[in-house]
Amino acid sequence: MSTAPSIEHDTGHGQHTEPYQGGVMRWLTTTNHKDIGTMYMTFALIMFFIGGAMILAVRAELFQPGLQLMQPEFFNQLIGVHALIMIFAALMPAATGFANWQIPLMIGAPDMALPRINNWGFWLLPPAATLLTLPFILALFGIGDGAVNTGWTLYAPLSVQGGMGVDFAIFSIHILGVSSILGSINIIVTIFNLRAPGMTMMKLPLFAWGWLITAFLLIATIPVLAGAVTMLLTDRHFGTSFFNAAGGGDPILFQHLFWFFGHPEVYILLLPIWGLIPHVLGTFSRKPIYGYKAQVYAFIAIGVLSVVVWAHHFFTAGLPVPALLYFMYSTMFISLPLAVLFFCWVATMWRGAMSFETPMLFAQGFIVLFGLAGLTGLVLADVAADAQYHHSYFVVAHFHYALFAGGIMGVMTGVYYWLPKWTGHMFSETLGKWHFWLTVISFNLTFMPQFFLGLAGMPRRIPDYALQFVEFNAISTVGSFILGFSQLIFAYNVWKCVKGGTKATDKVWEGAEGLEWNLSSPPPHHSWEVQPVIK
Amino acid sequence: MSAAEQEVEMDTPGSFSREELGRRRAASRRLAWLLGAAALAIYLIGFIYYRP
Repeated sequence: MSTAPSIEHDTGHGQHTEPYQGGVMRWLTTTNHKDIGTMYMTFALIMFFIGGAMILAVRAELFQPGLQLMQPEFFNQLIGVHALIMIFAALMPAATGFANWQIPLMIGAPDMALPRINNWGFWLLPPAATLLTLPFILALFGIGDGAVNTGWTLYAPLSVQGGMGVDFAIFSIHILGVSSILGSINIIVTIFNLRAPGMTMMKLPLFAWGWLITAFLLIATIPVLAGAVTMLLTDRHFGTSFFNAAGGGDPILFQHLFWFFGHPEVYILLLPIWGLIPHVLGTFSRKPIYGYKAQVYAFIAIGVLSVVVWAHHFFTAGLPVPALLYFMYSTMFISLPLAVLFFCWVATMWRGAMSFETPMLFAQGFIVLFGLAGLTGLVLADVAADAQYHHSYFVVAHFHYALFAGGIMGVMTGVYYWLPKWTGHMFSETLGKWHFWLTVISFNLTFMPQFFLGLAGMPRRIPDYALQFVEFNAISTVGSFILGFSQLIFAYNVWKCVKGGTKATDKVWEGAEGLEWNLSSPPPHHSWEVQPVIK
Repeated sequence: MSAAEQEVEMDTPGSFSREELGRRRAASRRLAWLLGAAALAIYLIGFIYYRP
């Protein structure tokens, strides 16, 4: 472990002399928002590849009808753990990584308000991810029957009857939930208490606004999921009957509790992205963000509406007609504030002096493809139509347009946009453009056929299928492998940028506006030791 | 950038005084405890609430 000179500083985590440690201890004990942000992003990237490898195995199995590579039980496990990893261990940590890196820089704060909790919030993640994947390894040694095999939704009564993998998933979800709540508390108090003098709430960058709403959603809904899986645990091992009909319980209650968390979770994953996209569009259109206030109010409206629409995920479970009508109309109502965001994004680019560097390409890809997710979401919100589409590949295609094109491509946008600021080096534009085009083409090759498979009646989460679905499945599998392997370009580009390259200027992008671009690239170890004042 | 953000400029820089930083840190801790308690309350209420 190497040591560097001590640094005297006055930050959000108190007046102290911090020995500037190197090696492993730096990462284990760090309370620096940039170090923790880097750890979140690195962890998310690793888990993205692990979750991606799992689904490539699934797609390989689906290349042809019949069972070629794995038994249905293992297929189910891969699908469930893929989703849990991608949502809880890839997308959410990536968004928290952005928050850690960017929020203090963008609001003029010296660090996050609660730096030690910040460290703890991150270090809860590796054990939680281990718990999710450990049952796969234990099963190799004949212990247990593999990982959670219920899909990520853990629906009762299947999950009440499932094997040891369900218990591992329950404990993992509890730990991931604690981590998310700690992160959310930190982000809220940082935004409320550590903004630079003069930065009123209506001068807050949109990225910070997006995260503020996200953090409140997390605090309101994660405890509900935690409660539901605790009840599931007691149903499995302590003789309760929350979800066991034979004991007077109600399996549909689990669906209500799960989706009370699960639907806001979609917005939890997307609001930080919606916050960062306008910054990128404004920068590369060399124009101010259009409709700042409208976007803030749209974020708030979407946040509020997201917690009152959950039952559209199980229209076919047998809900009373008034409930169906309410959830259908309330779900469709969300498209209004979402349309406001789309209009503002397009209007920001309108008549701008646009240039198409990699972050801008990803932002535009995000708008078009995420738009398709919105349109197909409207179709699914229709009770009558949903009776046909429910549990089909149409749903799988829809939520991948939302969560890959909307979520992962949004994350790519942000990484390419801020990477030069973080590392002090420019990434390779050539590799970035290759990455973008391969991603967009292979993504559509993977998921567009799944809309047609769903419309034709192919059910999701099934390892075998009828002969009529052969061609679209083969195309989808080929697309998925190109998509998966093209992400290695991204990893290589990031690694190359971290190691060196053309020096980035402080402002990095010609049209960039905002506090963070006033700091050096990379920013000093302690951001904003000298407080900026906002006019 | 928003019109509001365009007004963001560096002015004469300074630092938070120790008193000001201490006040902000104390406010952060208070709000953090409040949010944590709210999360815990939401978690526990489902176990206490009786549905007839």
